[in-house]
Amino acid sequence: MEDTELEVSPTPSDQNSPSPSSSPSLSLPSTPSSSCAPPPAATPPLGVISEGVAELSLFIDAEVAQRACQEVLQKVKLQQVEGDVPSQHSGAKPVPNSPPVALTASGKPMKIREQEDDPEGLAPGSVKSARRRQRHNPSKQSWLLRLFESKLFDVSMAISYLHNSKEPGVQAYIGNRLFSFPHEEVDFYLPQLLNMYIHMDEDVGDAIKPYVVHRCRQSISFSLMCAWLLGAYSSDMHISTQRHSRGTKLRKLILSDELKPAGSRAHRDPLTFSLIPFYHGLSPSKRTHQRSKSDATVSISLSSNLKRTASNPKVESSQDEVTDSNSSLDSLEFETVRLAPQREFIKSLMGIGKRLATLPTKEQKTQRLISELSLLNHKLPARVWLPTAAFDHHVVRVPHTQAVVLNSKDKAPYLIYVEVLECDNFETSSVPIRIPENRIRSTRSVENLPDCGMTAEQRAGSFSMVPNYDNDDEAWSVDDIGELQVELPEVHTNSCDNISQFSVDSITSLESKDPVFIAAGDIRRRLSEQLAQAPTTFKRDPEDPSAVALKEPWEEKVRRIREGSPYGHLPNWRLLSVIVKCGDDLRQELLAFQVLQQLKSIWEQERVPLWIKPYKILVLSSDSGMIEPVVNAVSLHQVKKQSQLSLLDYLLQEHGAPTTEAFLSAQRNFVQSCAGYSLICYLLQVKDRHNGNILLDAEGHIIHIDFGFILSSSPKNLGFETSAFKLTTEFVDVMGGPEGDMFNYYKMLMLQGLIAARKHMDRVLQIVEIMQQGSQLPCFHGSSTMRGLKERFHMSLTEEQLQLLIDQLVDGSMRSLTTKLYDGFQYLTNGIM
Amino acid sequence: VSNKYLDCETCFCSSILSLPSVILSKTLPSFFMLQVNLEYLESKLETVDGEEVQRIQDNINSLFHHCVQALGEEHQIKVVNALQTLCALFRGVHQKNKSASGFDIINMLMGFDKAEQRMKDLMERLDSLLCGDGSESLKSLCLKLLLCLVTVTDNISQNTILEYVMINSIFEAILQILSDVSSRGQHGYDAVVLLALLVNYRKYESVNPYIVKLSIVDDEPTLDGMGMVVHQALTEYNRQYKDKEEENQGGFFSTLTSMVGSMFIADADEKLSVQTNEAILLALYEAVHLNRNFITVLAQSHPEMDIAATPMTPTPTTPTTPLGTTPPSLDMMNNPELPLDPNLLTSNLLITFLKYASIVMQDTKDEHRLNSARLCLIILTCIAEDQYADAFLHDDNMNFRVNLHKMPMRHRKKAVDKNIPSRPLVCAVLDLMVEFIVTHMMKDFPMDLYLRCVQIIHKLLCYQKKCRIRLHYTWRELWSALINLLKFLLSNETTLLAKHNIFHLALLVVNLFNMFITYGDTFLPTSNSYDELYYEIVRMHQVFDNLYCMVLRVSTNTGQWKEAASKVTHALVNVRAIINHFNPKIESYAAVNHISQLSEEQVLEVVRSNYDTLTLKLQDGLDQFERYSEQPKEAAFFKELVRSISLNVRKNVSLNTLSQDVLLKEFSTIS
Repeated sequence: MEDTELEVSPTPSDQNSPSPSSSPSLSLPSTPSSSCAPPPAATPPLGVISEGVAELSLFIDAEVAQRACQEVLQKVKLQQVEGDVPSQHSGAKPVPNSPPVALTASGKPMKIREQEDDPEGLAPGSVKSARRRQRHNPSKQSWLLRLFESKLFDVSMAISYLHNSKEPGVQAYIGNRLFSFPHEEVDFYLPQLLNMYIHMDEDVGDAIKPYVVHRCRQSISFSLMCAWLLGAYSSDMHISTQRHSRGTKLRKLILSDELKPAGSRAHRDPLTFSLIPFYHGLSPSKRTHQRSKSDATVSISLSSNLKRTASNPKVESSQDEVTDSNSSLDSLEFETVRLAPQREFIKSLMGIGKRLATLPTKEQKTQRLISELSLLNHKLPARVWLPTAAFDHHVVRVPHTQAVVLNSKDKAPYLIYVEVLECDNFETSSVPIRIPENRIRSTRSVENLPDCGMTAEQRAGSFSMVPNYDNDDEAWSVDDIGELQVELPEVHTNSCDNISQFSVDSITSLESKDPVFIAAGDIRRRLSEQLAQAPTTFKRDPEDPSAVALKEPWEEKVRRIREGSPYGHLPNWRLLSVIVKCGDDLRQELLAFQVLQQLKSIWEQERVPLWIKPYKILVLSSDSGMIEPVVNAVSLHQVKKQSQLSLLDYLLQEHGAPTTEAFLSAQRNFVQSCAGYSLICYLLQVKDRHNGNILLDAEGHIIHIDFGFILSSSPKNLGFETSAFKLTTEFVDVMGGPEGDMFNYYKMLMLQGLIAARKHMDRVLQIVEIMQQGSQLPCFHGSSTMRGLKERFHMSLTEEQLQLLIDQLVDGSMRSLTTKLYDGFQYLTNGIM
Repeated sequence: VSNKYLDCETCFCSSILSLPSVILSKTLPSFFMLQVNLEYLESKLETVDGEEVQRIQDNINSLFHHCVQALGEEHQIKVVNALQTLCALFRGVHQKNKSASGFDIINMLMGFDKAEQRMKDLMERLDSLLCGDGSESLKSLCLKLLLCLVTVTDNISQNTILEYVMINSIFEAILQILSDVSSRGQHGYDAVVLLALLVNYRKYESVNPYIVKLSIVDDEPTLDGMGMVVHQALTEYNRQYKDKEEENQGGFFSTLTSMVGSMFIADADEKLSVQTNEAILLALYEAVHLNRNFITVLAQSHPEMDIAATPMTPTPTTPTTPLGTTPPSLDMMNNPELPLDPNLLTSNLLITFLKYASIVMQDTKDEHRLNSARLCLIILTCIAEDQYADAFLHDDNMNFRVNLHKMPMRHRKKAVDKNIPSRPLVCAVLDLMVEFIVTHMMKDFPMDLYLRCVQIIHKLLCYQKKCRIRLHYTWRELWSALINLLKFLLSNETTLLAKHNIFHLALLVVNLFNMFITYGDTFLPTSNSYDELYYEIVRMHQVFDNLYCMVLRVSTNTGQWKEAASKVTHALVNVRAIINHFNPKIESYAAVNHISQLSEEQVLEVVRSNYDTLTLKLQDGLDQFERYSEQPKEAAFFKELVRSISLNVRKNVSLNTLSQDVLLKEFSTIS
């Protein structure tokens, strides 16, 4: 506990450089200490900051707040009461202890803080008395000032103060301070920020709005993200209040696209132009009509000229110029198109989900999904992207035949793979030109060979011929199996495989007239060897189409899809995947993701080797969203059903004998992930833990998915799942049994994990607490959600006591019959093994 | 239309042909306000004799000129009348001068010196009418006129006027019609037929710009549109056939076998005819054959449309019936959004085409059906040769249930539709081939179709071998079908040899077995399937023995088949090695174990344990095949086919369809 104090506000604080580089358009001095004198005209009192002003002009609001804030702080400085706190030495110390505003406002959480953070018994009394003094003393602001100016002040703290402070000046100041944090860091707390904007009082809203508006102007994706979240988090309000709520207003403002970048761009901006292809997708009839119209003009202008229909890239570009000029005429109509393509893209994905839900069988759903996606493909490439991705890109193609419907009883979530081209900035980079579907020089001959010893370079070599297709001759060369035959020897001489040697023989034997003899036994043997050699795949099951798709190693899938794609030859080609959920509320999932992410970084920071895999969640509304799939992972249910083996035997089959390095590392991964998720399940009270909701990845990690029942909510069937987390004997067997070293390691990891987590409890609590505001989510049901969560961190226990607790939890879970019962229950009701 | 009115027109029409041209040219511009009595004009043109022709040529030239001029008029009624008059002129002049050279006809219609300009004007006007925002009926009339022009001669290549249509291309206009959803719905059929015909104008003799252009179209909405039109037409046929079949099934048990044949003869006057689809099939062929991008359209998914639930509502806005077929239900084509009917199965053009082929190929006695079946197989050949097509045929992720129609036969039950598993499409292709093979072993042996069939299978196997695709297909059915075919060839040797080279077919069949024997390791789905192959060969060894005796006999005699037969003897070497190797082993196994009749499992056991002592000879070029090429082999077939289509189209683009009251009503209100 000694070092706790020093690390309390630990996030890498270098970024908090005071220079407001991120907000160039607003000349905001982000640190109050900057000597910028308040503008002569106005020294408005704090009271001036009101919704009315904000409505008039968003940016004035920011400045007013800034000025007001500075003013307050300046006054504080002038008063210069008590030259306490040798600033360098303990500058940080009082920080967490004395957020006076928060204390006065809602003292409860702060008291806990005090207990936990109070280090080395540094006279709690004296701190308290100091605080008491502060309460009646304007100098209390200096504490805050120091904190806010300090390098340790990070987004997490900012959010916390924004939430807890009742002082409009402080709120306004933090609102401005947001500008100085790196975008990614603030983005993590976007749900919290927006939820506060929607559900807290005006002052908080006013403090947040300038930042949000500013970011919206800068970025399309931020705009949409805000609009989606605002919609989703406003949905719990009563319909009448919702309509006039701040959140709804801001959402409308964003979607109306009035928040275009200031200094309106020229109409000939490539951005607006290239949106059009997708925009036409809005109403398909309109699209074709428009399109054919432009066709007509082109065909007249180039009448009886082959160019129009040629596929020569040069001509294509010239054709583009024609359309370009056409659309520049049109662009007036498409003023509000900035956000439209992406919204339409998302809308069509959701539409597909809704329609799939009406179909009775998996097979029909799958077929329908494929055909719907193939239609969607016609509108791609476009300026659309997957918000779950970590890099800028344009979606160019959806390999529709790879999509699968996921297992769900009444809804139709589905998983699609999406081919994208990475780009510098998806808003300004030009949208890739469409390449017709069959314009690939297929290297399929290689694709289906059970890896016959080709090295990566060789493969790359055979792949590098693809770009040639741009060449006209190449594009028109007859691309058929006849040609494949000619190519084949080249490809195969590289390989050391005897079969391909054989087919080389068959061709070379054309030259030499000596008869070649082969043994029938060899053919038969090769056949059975090859069949055995093939990597373990799952059998195709029309009732569970996703099993096969998910089992295929990701790298393998990427290569396969890349080879089949007309865009595959491009160096910036990437494959992404996403699960589209329609009819499901993902807000809890998002909350769980945030908590997991937070715990993950806490554990990383504390160097505890617990392993968890937070997967990205995109909330689109209160009943739709997207999930980033975990790659190279199948559910335990699918593992058991397909392999008919116990978990241990399956791992042995996949990784090798118990003493091999491969198995041991898989086992270690299993244990570390088990420990991580056991803690998560305990802390968040994750329920509904059946084997369909637990994945096993190719490295042996388990990954929990589906956080539909957390905190205060659990499935209706009460009485089940009373144990702290799921720990079946199968799991214990994988860990080498309850007496094994690995099992002890598991318990030790859990202890370390819990100690680390409670050290940074605030960072976890904060996420949950803010989201509770105004929420009707079942996970917040009842009044004890937060208290329960806090209690599970067991602040009051010593480490020895904690260890005892862990032992009890593990024992309880192991002995728990209910887990077993629950699995049985799931099998009966949902067919999940 | 009142009688009085009619009289007036008739009078005017006769005056056109008799008045001095000077006077005529003054009156003509207003002439087009009146409706033309087309029958009269056409018949009048037919009755004029030699000298009179010379006399009225100026008048006809002038009329033609003014017709073309009138096409640019704002008054749509004038345009309509001008289009109709042009149509009558083309037909009348051609019918009168059937023997005349194309140049004489051009001279008579337009005058040599002006012909180029006139036709240029005509084509440009038609192009802008077709591409413009004008009335749909007008567009339809334009297409009728073009169809009329294209089909005035029996042999399209002798229609010299088409040279001008080559120079002044309307290809782009056709494409535009196909790319637009609503215009495709109304005119797609005519546009596709027109395109198919134009592509066949002197395709072997000169450079046909339509061929060149069609081959490089890569605009997906357009190609899709073309696919949709074909899809629609074939779907419609399939649906009608199905309805008919169900209707007939009631009291038909006694004559089930004759049903297919009688169905079409008995209903000759009904619209359900293969003949009308020849044009559509030709269009599909040209698209698949010429345009590599079109292959993707084949796999483009559409919702299944042959559901009886979609009512056929004749839409009043379209006065014309495309070529005498029932117009495809327009609401489907107009609606690009997939309908939300959960009962709809997803389909694509390829599936529809396979179903269509399965119907057409059932009975090949009728000439049109034989042609259609042949064309279907040619299209399948092209598909099987295309790598992209093969890729999606074998795509494990694209599984479909394809209900192929099977000929009702006494010795087998009709398969229950519902039990068809969902499989990659190539399985349906193979099923179709197997089905054809087992159902057409008759005296009037369709040798050509059999050859194509076996070659298609061979091409698919080559692809599977190359790409190591292990298709889960019941290969046994194919093997036994092929063995039965050999058996049939043997037992009808003498009758068949009179007409066909049966050795070529036998060689292809034996080589299919050689593919399985030597390359089975690369594409068979299970080890067991290789054993089963041997089992099947050994079980049916008598057929191979007899075949060997026969080809040996023929090849040792001198005669025209000597060489062909000797090729088969060489090809049989491995099959014979297998039989000679395993037969004694099986017999001794039976003897040792005192079993008179070995079970399949026992034979398989013998096979499995005796592979190692068997040596096979590697044969050359088993996985090589001759690529399909239209010229010179198929040229005659396509010439005849196009002739047949031309006649049919001409018959259906009657003047009646051109001069409907609806048209008049529509435009009289406009003007």
